[in-house]
Amino acid sequence: MSLRVSSELMAEIGRHGEEQYPEEAAGLLLGAVDGETRSARRVLPLANVFDSEQRGRRYLINPLDILHAEDEAERVGMDVVGVFHSHPDHPPTPSKFDLDWAVPWYVYLITSVREGVASESRAWKLQDDHSQMIEELLTVEQEAR
Amino acid sequence: MSSIRVPTALRAYTGGQGEVAVEAVTVGAALQELAVRFPALATHLFSPEGQLRPYVNLFLNDEDVRSLAGEHTPLSEGDRLMILPSVAGGWTMSTSLKAVDHSALQTSMAVRMGALIAAFVTDQTWLVPIVAALMLIGTARGKPDFGFAYRALRKLNWIAPDLIPDNPEPHRFALGVGGTLLAAATVAFIAGLPVVGWGLTWVVIALTGLNLFAGFCVGCAVYYWLNRIGMPGFIKAPPPGIIPGQRPSRPE
Repeated sequence: MSLRVSSELMAEIGRHGEEQYPEEAAGLLLGAVDGETRSARRVLPLANVFDSEQRGRRYLINPLDILHAEDEAERVGMDVVGVFHSHPDHPPTPSKFDLDWAVPWYVYLITSVREGVASESRAWKLQDDHSQMIEELLTVEQEAR
Repeated sequence: MSSIRVPTALRAYTGGQGEVAVEAVTVGAALQELAVRFPALATHLFSPEGQLRPYVNLFLNDEDVRSLAGEHTPLSEGDRLMILPSVAGGWTMSTSLKAVDHSALQTSMAVRMGALIAAFVTDQTWLVPIVAALMLIGTARGKPDFGFAYRALRKLNWIAPDLIPDNPEPHRFALGVGGTLLAAATVAFIAGLPVVGWGLTWVVIALTGLNLFAGFCVGCAVYYWLNRIGMPGFIKAPPPGIIPGQRPSRPE
Protein backbone atom coordinates (compact mmCIF):
# COMPACT_ATOMS: atom_id res chain seq x y z
CA MET A 1 0.00 0.00 0.00
CA SER A 2 1.22 3.49 -0.71
CA LEU A 3 -0.06 7.03 -0.62
CA ARG A 4 0.60 9.59 -3.35
CA VAL A 5 0.14 13.24 -2.52
CA SER A 6 1.03 16.24 -4.67
CA SER A 7 3.47 18.78 -3.24
CA GLU A 8 0.66 21.36 -3.38
CA LEU A 9 -1.58 19.26 -1.16
CA MET A 10 1.32 18.53 1.20
CA ALA A 11 1.87 22.28 1.49
CA GLU A 12 -1.83 22.78 2.24
CA ILE A 13 -1.71 20.10 4.95
CA GLY A 14 1.43 21.72 6.38
CA ARG A 15 -0.22 25.15 6.41
CA HIS A 16 -3.26 23.79 8.26
CA GLY A 17 -0.92 22.25 10.86
CA GLU A 18 0.98 25.52 11.21
CA GLU A 19 -2.21 27.60 11.52
CA GLN A 20 -3.56 25.39 14.28
CA TYR A 21 -0.22 25.07 16.10
CA PRO A 22 0.24 24.49 19.05
CA GLU A 23 -3.05 22.60 18.75
CA GLU A 24 -3.40 19.50 16.63
CA ALA A 25 -4.87 20.02 13.19
CA ALA A 26 -6.85 17.33 11.44
CA GLY A 27 -8.84 16.68 8.33
CA LEU A 28 -9.70 14.16 5.67
CA LEU A 29 -7.99 13.12 2.46
CA LEU A 30 -10.26 12.75 -0.54
CA GLY A 31 -9.08 10.90 -3.59
CA ALA A 32 -9.00 7.66 -5.45
CA VAL A 33 -7.99 4.09 -4.73
CA ASP A 34 -6.27 2.18 -7.48
CA GLY A 35 -5.31 -1.28 -6.32
CA GLU A 36 -2.67 -0.84 -3.66
CA THR A 37 -2.17 2.86 -4.32
CA ARG A 38 -4.18 5.74 -2.93
CA SER A 39 -3.93 9.14 -4.50
CA ALA A 40 -5.05 12.16 -2.52
CA ARG A 41 -6.65 14.73 -4.77
CA ARG A 42 -8.17 17.07 -2.25
CA VAL A 43 -7.76 17.81 1.43
CA LEU A 44 -10.64 18.73 3.66
CA PRO A 45 -9.43 20.49 6.82
CA LEU A 46 -11.96 19.91 9.62
CA ALA A 47 -12.49 21.35 13.06
CA ASN A 48 -10.74 19.63 15.93
CA VAL A 49 -13.61 19.27 18.41
CA PHE A 50 -11.58 17.71 21.20
CA ASP A 51 -11.83 19.41 24.60
CA SER A 52 -10.00 22.73 24.04
CA GLU A 53 -7.42 22.31 26.82
CA GLN A 54 -6.19 19.09 25.27
CA ARG A 55 -6.10 20.01 21.62
CA GLY A 56 -2.32 20.27 21.86
CA ARG A 57 -2.16 16.52 21.90
CA ARG A 58 -5.49 15.17 20.72
CA TYR A 59 -7.90 15.62 17.89
CA LEU A 60 -11.43 14.46 17.29
CA ILE A 61 -13.49 14.96 14.17
CA ASN A 62 -17.26 15.08 14.58
CA PRO A 63 -18.75 11.87 13.10
CA LEU A 64 -21.36 13.92 11.25
CA ASP A 65 -18.51 15.81 9.53
CA ILE A 66 -17.33 12.42 8.26
CA LEU A 67 -20.82 11.74 6.88
CA HIS A 68 -20.88 15.09 5.09
CA ALA A 69 -17.35 14.53 3.77
CA GLU A 70 -18.32 11.11 2.43
CA ASP A 71 -21.38 12.58 0.73
CA GLU A 72 -19.26 15.38 -0.72
CA ALA A 73 -16.61 12.92 -1.92
CA GLU A 74 -19.30 10.81 -3.57
CA ARG A 75 -20.73 13.88 -5.27
CA VAL A 76 -17.37 14.68 -6.89
CA GLY A 77 -16.60 11.05 -7.71
CA MET A 78 -13.97 10.50 -5.03
CA ASP A 79 -13.65 8.53 -1.79
CA VAL A 80 -12.55 9.53 1.68
CA VAL A 81 -9.26 7.62 1.55
CA GLY A 82 -7.74 8.71 4.81
CA VAL A 83 -7.06 11.17 7.56
CA PHE A 84 -4.32 13.72 8.11
CA HIS A 85 -3.33 15.20 11.43
CA SER A 86 -0.44 17.04 12.99
CA HIS A 87 1.73 16.16 15.97
CA PRO A 88 2.87 19.51 17.43
CA ASP A 89 6.50 19.20 18.52
CA HIS A 90 6.36 15.43 18.29
CA PRO A 91 7.52 12.93 15.67
CA PRO A 92 5.07 11.83 12.97
CA THR A 93 4.71 8.36 14.43
CA PRO A 94 1.40 6.97 15.72
CA SER A 95 0.78 6.96 19.46
CA LYS A 96 -1.08 4.33 21.46
CA PHE A 97 -4.05 6.71 21.33
CA ASP A 98 -3.81 6.88 17.52
CA LEU A 99 -3.79 3.08 17.44
CA ASP A 100 -6.76 2.70 19.82
CA TRP A 101 -8.89 5.02 17.70
CA ALA A 102 -7.63 4.06 14.26
CA VAL A 103 -10.26 3.31 11.66
CA PRO A 104 -9.42 0.32 9.46
CA TRP A 105 -8.65 0.87 5.78
CA TYR A 106 -8.00 4.62 6.14
CA VAL A 107 -4.47 5.84 5.55
CA TYR A 108 -3.22 8.14 8.32
CA LEU A 109 -0.91 10.91 7.25
CA ILE A 110 0.87 12.41 10.27
CA THR A 111 2.82 15.65 9.97
CA SER A 112 5.17 16.85 12.63
CA VAL A 113 4.91 20.60 13.29
CA ARG A 114 8.01 21.76 15.17
CA GLU A 115 7.92 25.17 16.80
CA GLY A 116 5.16 26.20 14.43
CA VAL A 117 6.80 24.94 11.24
CA ALA A 118 5.55 21.86 9.41
CA SER A 119 8.36 19.36 8.88
CA GLU A 120 8.42 15.61 8.34
CA SER A 121 5.32 13.63 7.29
CA ARG A 122 4.80 9.89 7.34
CA ALA A 123 1.87 7.68 6.34
CA TRP A 124 0.46 4.79 8.34
CA LYS A 125 -2.31 2.25 8.15
CA LEU A 126 -3.94 0.07 10.79
CA GLN A 127 -2.98 -3.59 10.55
CA ASP A 128 -6.12 -5.69 10.05
CA ASP A 129 -5.86 -7.30 13.52
CA HIS A 130 -5.78 -3.81 15.15
CA SER A 131 -2.46 -4.65 16.84
CA GLN A 132 -0.31 -1.93 15.27
CA MET A 133 0.02 0.79 12.66
CA ILE A 134 2.13 -0.18 9.65
CA GLU A 135 4.07 2.43 7.72
CA GLU A 136 3.01 3.06 4.15
CA LEU A 137 5.15 4.37 1.35
CA LEU A 138 4.49 8.13 1.02
CA THR A 139 5.22 9.63 -2.37
CA VAL A 140 5.11 13.40 -2.73
CA GLU A 141 4.76 14.33 -6.38
CA GLN A 142 6.24 17.62 -7.52
CA GLU A 143 3.93 18.16 -10.45
CA ALA A 144 0.47 19.57 -10.15
CA ARG A 145 -2.31 17.03 -10.04
CA MET B 1 -36.83 -4.18 6.72
CA SER B 2 -34.34 -1.43 7.53
CA SER B 3 -30.93 -0.61 6.15
CA ILE B 4 -27.44 -0.02 7.48
CA ARG B 5 -25.17 2.54 5.87
CA VAL B 6 -21.58 1.32 5.84
CA PRO B 7 -18.89 4.04 5.76
CA THR B 8 -16.33 4.03 2.95
CA ALA B 9 -13.62 2.78 5.30
CA LEU B 10 -15.54 -0.42 6.04
CA ARG B 11 -16.81 -1.18 2.54
CA ALA B 12 -13.68 -3.23 1.86
CA TYR B 13 -15.19 -5.75 4.29
CA THR B 14 -18.72 -5.78 2.86
CA GLY B 15 -17.71 -6.57 -0.70
CA GLY B 16 -18.04 -2.90 -1.58
CA GLN B 17 -21.64 -2.57 -0.37
CA GLY B 18 -22.49 0.81 1.11
CA GLU B 19 -26.08 -0.02 2.08
CA VAL B 20 -27.03 -3.35 3.58
CA ALA B 21 -30.65 -4.35 4.18
CA VAL B 22 -31.32 -6.04 7.54
CA GLU B 23 -34.29 -7.85 9.06
CA ALA B 24 -33.31 -7.16 12.70
CA VAL B 25 -35.64 -5.10 14.88
CA THR B 26 -33.05 -3.57 17.24
CA VAL B 27 -29.75 -1.78 16.66
CA GLY B 28 -27.78 -4.48 18.52
CA ALA B 29 -29.39 -7.29 16.54
CA ALA B 30 -28.80 -5.41 13.28
CA LEU B 31 -25.07 -5.17 14.03
CA GLN B 32 -24.97 -8.87 14.87
CA GLU B 33 -26.77 -9.64 11.61
CA LEU B 34 -24.22 -7.54 9.74
CA ALA B 35 -21.33 -9.26 11.55
CA VAL B 36 -22.70 -12.72 10.69
CA ARG B 37 -23.18 -11.79 7.07
CA PHE B 38 -19.73 -10.19 6.78
CA PRO B 39 -17.38 -11.99 9.21
CA ALA B 40 -14.41 -9.88 8.02
CA LEU B 41 -16.29 -6.79 9.18
CA ALA B 42 -17.03 -8.21 12.64
CA THR B 43 -13.43 -7.84 13.87
CA HIS B 44 -13.49 -4.17 12.90
CA LEU B 45 -16.78 -3.43 14.65
CA PHE B 46 -16.16 -5.42 17.82
CA SER B 47 -13.09 -5.86 20.01
CA PRO B 48 -12.04 -9.44 20.91
CA GLU B 49 -14.05 -8.91 24.15
CA GLY B 50 -17.18 -8.27 22.08
CA GLN B 51 -17.35 -4.52 22.84
CA LEU B 52 -18.02 -2.03 20.06
CA ARG B 53 -14.68 -0.50 19.08
CA PRO B 54 -14.14 3.10 20.28
CA TYR B 55 -14.30 4.61 16.80
CA VAL B 56 -17.71 3.12 15.97
CA ASN B 57 -20.60 5.59 16.19
CA LEU B 58 -24.15 4.65 15.33
CA PHE B 59 -26.70 7.14 14.12
CA LEU B 60 -30.32 6.23 13.53
CA ASN B 61 -31.87 8.65 11.05
CA ASP B 62 -29.30 11.33 12.06
CA GLU B 63 -29.66 10.73 15.79
CA ASP B 64 -26.89 9.23 17.91
CA VAL B 65 -28.21 5.91 19.27
CA ARG B 66 -26.41 6.62 22.56
CA SER B 67 -29.02 9.33 23.12
CA LEU B 68 -31.79 6.84 22.28
CA ALA B 69 -31.68 3.38 23.87
CA GLY B 70 -28.22 2.29 22.66
CA GLU B 71 -28.14 -1.22 21.27
CA HIS B 72 -31.74 -1.75 22.43
CA THR B 73 -33.00 1.05 20.19
CA PRO B 74 -35.80 -0.42 18.07
CA LEU B 75 -35.60 -0.33 14.29
CA SER B 76 -38.74 0.25 12.29
CA GLU B 77 -39.53 -0.39 8.66
CA GLY B 78 -37.53 1.97 6.48
CA ASP B 79 -35.14 3.12 9.24
CA ARG B 80 -31.58 3.85 8.20
CA LEU B 81 -28.86 3.02 10.71
CA MET B 82 -25.55 4.72 9.90
CA ILE B 83 -22.19 3.49 11.07
CA LEU B 84 -19.95 6.55 11.26
CA PRO B 85 -16.32 6.42 12.31
CA SER B 86 -15.08 8.74 15.03
CA VAL B 87 -11.80 9.97 13.67
CA ALA B 88 -9.56 10.77 16.61
CA GLY B 89 -5.95 10.56 17.66
CA GLY B 90 -3.05 12.52 18.97
CA TRP B 91 0.44 12.04 20.22
CA THR B 92 -0.28 11.46 23.88
CA MET B 93 -0.23 8.07 25.52
CA SER B 94 -3.65 7.68 26.99
CA THR B 95 -6.33 5.31 28.06
CA SER B 96 -9.06 5.20 25.46
CA LEU B 97 -11.93 7.55 26.11
CA LYS B 98 -15.46 7.22 24.84
CA ALA B 99 -17.83 9.86 23.61
CA VAL B 100 -20.05 10.45 26.65
CA ASP B 101 -23.27 12.37 26.09
CA HIS B 102 -23.16 14.99 28.83
CA SER B 103 -26.54 16.36 27.74
CA ALA B 104 -28.10 13.05 28.80
CA LEU B 105 -26.28 13.16 32.15
CA GLN B 106 -27.25 16.78 32.85
CA THR B 107 -30.89 16.28 31.87
CA SER B 108 -31.10 13.34 34.25
CA MET B 109 -29.51 15.37 37.02
CA ALA B 110 -31.96 18.25 36.52
CA VAL B 111 -34.99 15.93 36.59
CA ARG B 112 -33.62 14.04 39.60
CA MET B 113 -32.99 17.27 41.54
CA GLY B 114 -36.46 18.57 40.70
CA ALA B 115 -38.11 15.31 41.79
CA LEU B 116 -36.23 15.18 45.11
CA ILE B 117 -36.85 18.84 45.96
CA ALA B 118 -40.54 18.39 45.08
CA ALA B 119 -40.64 15.31 47.34
CA PHE B 120 -39.17 17.34 50.23
CA VAL B 121 -41.36 20.40 49.77
CA THR B 122 -44.57 18.35 49.56
CA ASP B 123 -43.31 15.80 52.16
CA GLN B 124 -43.91 12.89 49.79
CA THR B 125 -41.39 10.35 51.13
CA TRP B 126 -42.59 7.72 48.63
CA LEU B 127 -40.89 9.63 45.79
CA VAL B 128 -37.46 8.97 47.32
CA PRO B 129 -37.47 5.17 46.83
CA ILE B 130 -38.71 5.67 43.24
CA VAL B 131 -35.75 7.93 42.45
CA ALA B 132 -33.45 5.49 44.31
CA ALA B 133 -34.74 2.61 42.17
CA LEU B 134 -34.29 4.56 38.93
CA MET B 135 -30.73 5.46 39.94
CA LEU B 136 -29.84 1.89 40.89
CA ILE B 137 -31.45 0.47 37.72
CA GLY B 138 -29.51 3.10 35.73
CA THR B 139 -26.31 2.02 37.46
CA ALA B 140 -26.98 -1.65 36.66
CA ARG B 141 -27.67 -0.82 33.01
CA GLY B 142 -24.92 1.78 32.68
CA LYS B 143 -27.48 4.37 31.57
CA PRO B 144 -28.67 7.68 33.06
CA ASP B 145 -31.48 7.33 35.63
CA PHE B 146 -33.87 9.66 33.79
CA GLY B 147 -32.80 8.66 30.28
CA PHE B 148 -36.46 8.47 29.25
CA ALA B 149 -36.93 12.18 30.04
CA TYR B 150 -33.86 13.00 27.94
CA ARG B 151 -35.16 10.91 25.04
CA ALA B 152 -38.51 12.71 25.22
CA LEU B 153 -36.78 16.11 25.11
CA ARG B 154 -34.57 14.93 22.24
CA LYS B 155 -37.67 13.87 20.29
CA LEU B 156 -39.03 17.41 20.72
CA ASN B 157 -35.65 18.78 19.60
CA TRP B 158 -35.46 20.84 22.78
CA ILE B 159 -32.00 19.60 23.59
CA ALA B 160 -28.98 18.57 21.56
CA PRO B 161 -26.49 15.80 22.38
CA ASP B 162 -23.22 17.01 23.85
CA LEU B 163 -20.65 14.34 23.14
CA ILE B 164 -17.47 14.80 25.13
CA PRO B 165 -14.57 12.32 25.13
CA ASP B 166 -14.73 11.03 28.69
CA ASN B 167 -14.82 7.87 30.79
CA PRO B 168 -18.39 6.59 31.33
CA GLU B 169 -17.42 4.40 34.33
CA PRO B 170 -16.99 7.15 36.96
CA HIS B 171 -20.41 8.59 36.08
CA ARG B 172 -21.94 5.16 36.53
CA PHE B 173 -20.19 4.79 39.88
CA ALA B 174 -21.41 8.22 40.99
CA LEU B 175 -24.99 7.27 40.03
CA GLY B 176 -24.65 4.09 42.12
CA VAL B 177 -23.43 6.06 45.14
CA GLY B 178 -26.40 8.44 44.85
CA GLY B 179 -28.83 5.55 44.46
CA THR B 180 -27.37 3.86 47.53
CA LEU B 181 -27.69 7.04 49.62
CA LEU B 182 -31.36 7.33 48.62
CA ALA B 183 -31.90 3.63 49.41
CA ALA B 184 -30.47 4.36 52.87
CA ALA B 185 -32.81 7.38 53.12
CA THR B 186 -35.73 5.06 52.31
CA VAL B 187 -34.70 2.71 55.11
CA ALA B 188 -34.55 5.73 57.46
CA PHE B 189 -38.10 6.81 56.47
CA ILE B 190 -39.39 3.27 57.08
CA ALA B 191 -37.59 3.19 60.43
CA GLY B 192 -39.42 6.38 61.42
CA LEU B 193 -36.37 8.64 61.14
CA PRO B 194 -37.53 11.31 58.69
CA VAL B 195 -34.76 13.75 59.68
CA VAL B 196 -32.11 11.19 58.72
CA GLY B 197 -34.04 10.32 55.53
CA TRP B 198 -34.34 13.93 54.39
CA GLY B 199 -30.74 14.59 55.44
CA LEU B 200 -29.48 11.84 53.13
CA THR B 201 -31.84 13.02 50.39
CA TRP B 202 -30.39 16.52 50.67
CA VAL B 203 -26.86 15.13 50.40
CA VAL B 204 -27.91 13.66 47.02
CA ILE B 205 -29.61 16.94 46.00
CA ALA B 206 -26.47 18.92 46.92
CA LEU B 207 -24.08 16.56 45.09
CA THR B 208 -26.35 16.53 42.04
CA GLY B 209 -26.53 20.34 42.10
CA LEU B 210 -22.75 20.64 42.43
CA ASN B 211 -22.34 18.46 39.35
CA LEU B 212 -25.15 20.11 37.38
CA PHE B 213 -24.25 23.74 38.09
CA ALA B 214 -20.51 23.67 38.86
CA GLY B 215 -19.53 20.71 36.67
CA PHE B 216 -17.95 18.82 39.52
CA CYS B 217 -18.85 15.16 40.01
CA VAL B 218 -17.90 14.11 43.54
CA GLY B 219 -18.66 10.44 42.83
CA CYS B 220 -16.32 10.61 39.80
CA ALA B 221 -13.60 12.19 41.97
CA VAL B 222 -14.00 9.31 44.46
CA TYR B 223 -13.79 6.84 41.56
CA TYR B 224 -10.54 8.40 40.31
CA TRP B 225 -9.14 8.47 43.83
CA LEU B 226 -9.89 4.74 44.17
CA ASN B 227 -8.22 4.27 40.77
CA ARG B 228 -5.14 6.09 42.03
CA ILE B 229 -4.80 3.93 45.12
CA GLY B 230 -5.11 0.85 42.89
CA MET B 231 -8.56 -0.39 43.98
CA PRO B 232 -9.43 -3.39 41.76
CA GLY B 233 -12.20 -2.65 39.25
CA PHE B 234 -11.50 1.09 39.17
CA ILE B 235 -9.51 0.86 35.97
CA LYS B 236 -9.97 4.27 34.36
CA ALA B 237 -7.61 7.15 35.08
CA PRO B 238 -8.95 10.69 34.70
CA PRO B 239 -8.70 12.26 31.23
CA PRO B 240 -5.44 14.24 31.28
CA GLY B 241 -5.54 17.98 31.87
CA ILE B 242 -8.51 18.11 34.25
CA ILE B 243 -8.94 17.91 38.00
CA PRO B 244 -10.34 14.40 38.67
CA GLY B 245 -14.14 14.78 38.89
CA GLN B 246 -14.24 17.98 36.86
CA ARG B 247 -16.34 17.86 33.70
CA PRO B 248 -14.08 17.81 30.61
CA SER B 249 -14.69 21.09 28.78
CA ARG B 250 -17.28 21.07 26.06
CA PRO B 251 -15.97 20.89 22.49
CA GLU B 252 -16.58 24.19 20.70
